[in-house]
Amino acid sequence: MTTMATPTQSTPDAQMPQYNPKSESMGAKRVKSTLFHIVALALTAVVLYPALWMVASSFKPNSEIGGTNTSLWSSNFSMDNFVTAMDGIGGVSTLQFFTNSLILAVGAVVGTVLSASVSAYAFARIKFPGRSVFFGMMIATLLLPFHVVIIPQYIIFNQLGLVDTYVPLLIGKFLAADAFFVFLMVQFMRNLPAELDEAARIDGAGHVRIFTSIMLPLMKPALISTSIFSFIWSWNDFLGPLLYLNTPDKYPLPLALRLFVDQTQSSDYGAMIAMSVLALLPVLIFFLIFQRYIVEGVSTQGLKG
Amino acid sequence: MINRRHFITTVAVGTASAAALAACGTGSSSSGETGSAEKPVTINYTWWGNDDRAERTRKAIALFESKNADIKVNGNFTDFAGYWQKRATEAAGGGLPDVMQWDLSYLRDYGQRNQLLDLSTVKINTDAFEKSLLPSGQIKGKTFGIPTSTNAFAVYYDPAKLASLGITEPDGSWTYKEFNEFLVSVGSKSNGALFGSTDYTGVWWMFNVWLRQNNIEAFTSEGKLGFSKDDLKKWWNLTADLRGTPAIISEERVTQLAPKSPFGSNVTATEVTWDNFMAGYLGDSGAKELKLVPVPSDDKDNLGLFLKPSMLMVASAKTKYKDAAARFIDFMVNDPEVGQIFKTSRGVPASKTQRDGTTFEGTDKVVVDYETSIAQYLKDAPEPPIVGFGTLETSFKRVASDLNYGKLDINGAADAWFKEAEDLIKQNA
Repeated sequence: MTTMATPTQSTPDAQMPQYNPKSESMGAKRVKSTLFHIVALALTAVVLYPALWMVASSFKPNSEIGGTNTSLWSSNFSMDNFVTAMDGIGGVSTLQFFTNSLILAVGAVVGTVLSASVSAYAFARIKFPGRSVFFGMMIATLLLPFHVVIIPQYIIFNQLGLVDTYVPLLIGKFLAADAFFVFLMVQFMRNLPAELDEAARIDGAGHVRIFTSIMLPLMKPALISTSIFSFIWSWNDFLGPLLYLNTPDKYPLPLALRLFVDQTQSSDYGAMIAMSVLALLPVLIFFLIFQRYIVEGVSTQGLKG
Repeated sequence: MINRRHFITTVAVGTASAAALAACGTGSSSSGETGSAEKPVTINYTWWGNDDRAERTRKAIALFESKNADIKVNGNFTDFAGYWQKRATEAAGGGLPDVMQWDLSYLRDYGQRNQLLDLSTVKINTDAFEKSLLPSGQIKGKTFGIPTSTNAFAVYYDPAKLASLGITEPDGSWTYKEFNEFLVSVGSKSNGALFGSTDYTGVWWMFNVWLRQNNIEAFTSEGKLGFSKDDLKKWWNLTADLRGTPAIISEERVTQLAPKSPFGSNVTATEVTWDNFMAGYLGDSGAKELKLVPVPSDDKDNLGLFLKPSMLMVASAKTKYKDAAARFIDFMVNDPEVGQIFKTSRGVPASKTQRDGTTFEGTDKVVVDYETSIAQYLKDAPEPPIVGFGTLETSFKRVASDLNYGKLDINGAADAWFKEAEDLIKQNA
């Protein structure tokens, strides 16, 4: 849209890309910088408002959340919601829900990283009969919606007596059933120079040695993005745990959160929001620590070999 | 979400019917495996609900186990929406829990597909139940559900709000004209600060009550619609003059307030709904006191009211422990001490034994007193709703809200809903 503007009718918007430092004074620069920051802050406020609302509401009494209460501020701020949230539900402590979520998430990360990297190595570096067929089949599973397989899967796990254990939720991760991650790593590995493993082979290294000593260290960005995504997906997964877990002792956080809102009785929005804030913290911390690698991982995937 | 859920249900239902076919011919009349004090059997019981219900149920289970040393009960719970997703999958996979808390709108669906145990084949005492209530758990002569508790339709109002506007409290003997005038006076005396009510013609069950007042059944015994398009138009015309005035809150405002109700947000003075929503409204609005009066009717002797099971107890058709399941259900619906634990949090106890053994105070008493006060007007509870009833109820609400938005006129709205309803009934026939 800026390309259409002629110099005589240029808008401030249109001037930005044609910025010429020589022709401008320090004052004009400062105004521009200030304007830029105001606009940026305003946009940030809009984007972050839901999060802000959540944090503010977590300190409000239940009757002041939603409905006619549109203000973020309340004169009745208290920690009560957090106390209720930490009390747990139906005799199960909130710490237990956190632990369960953590077991599932860490299990998912470990399983996915181990299985997906090994499978990816096979697809990217080993020539075996039917490789492209198997690769195609794996990609095909990406196109298969989860909901198609729910019931057959449930029947299998039910017959095996594995319902109400973590096995149905984790076994797929250890068997590289997440085709997305395998595909991601295959693409990453294909971009690594083949000369590296050829050199290792000349030195007498087998597949195991090449994989552990050459490939794994080079794949760090891919491994990290895989870990991050599988952690977050597992942390937020609702349907899987809902179907496969029966005992409240084994519930992860997303299931527990829903128990605070019951339309058929009274809903404790305050406690639910407080618990949402708490549930968000691990993901947030995880993100802050690995933020650098996320950007690195994603940008590396885009590079050509 | 809706598509996903619908899809699961469809798949579940398909697989379930296959499973049901396969199960034919293996019928047995034994009471199933039984346990002893040394070697108790474990039955699974599942319910939906919040922390409060989980706590109360835990107490009830502990009491049951202390009285029945040969049975252990393993209790599980989820939220309402997740509950039905999980049941659909389990039904398809043959893994339904032994005993379940149940909702009336799902009874026919699972009952017709032979997923639920016919409770008339086991020993459950129903002597203390109102005879008018039991048919709501029965389909074609089989008893699939026993009501734990009842609810009835009522008009809620906040006496403090009416007093501040100088409006006298209603006594509940009113015609639709009088009710409308009441709503208008709330809107005009508060200068629009307080609306009279939400549009009550958008509430399916209120429509159902009105049909009964006019001696029309909502559904025929063949599962078809029992009323005509003209009936529906007449119903929606009742508030035609009120829409867009302060007597009735606008749809825009209702949407802004969601997920809270306008009444719970202190924006309306009255609300027409089930009497067991009391605790939720009190919690949401922070009001000191809310009162209940009967719904309007143009026929003083026929208020169209009925008791509906607010929830039922059912058992899985595949349970290995029929006897234990029956004893647990009997205990949950009849035992006075269980009534004392739950009070009215499940609704008003349906069994007289349980109701008489429970002391009701405060809010609980308001609800129980209301149901006692309307006893003389009560008619038979409706049969379990047709399959897909939930969808019908939702579309009724949606079409009525389009009417309020002014997107549809009354003729268009009636046409739109009838088309959806007839398609759905044909689909599920």
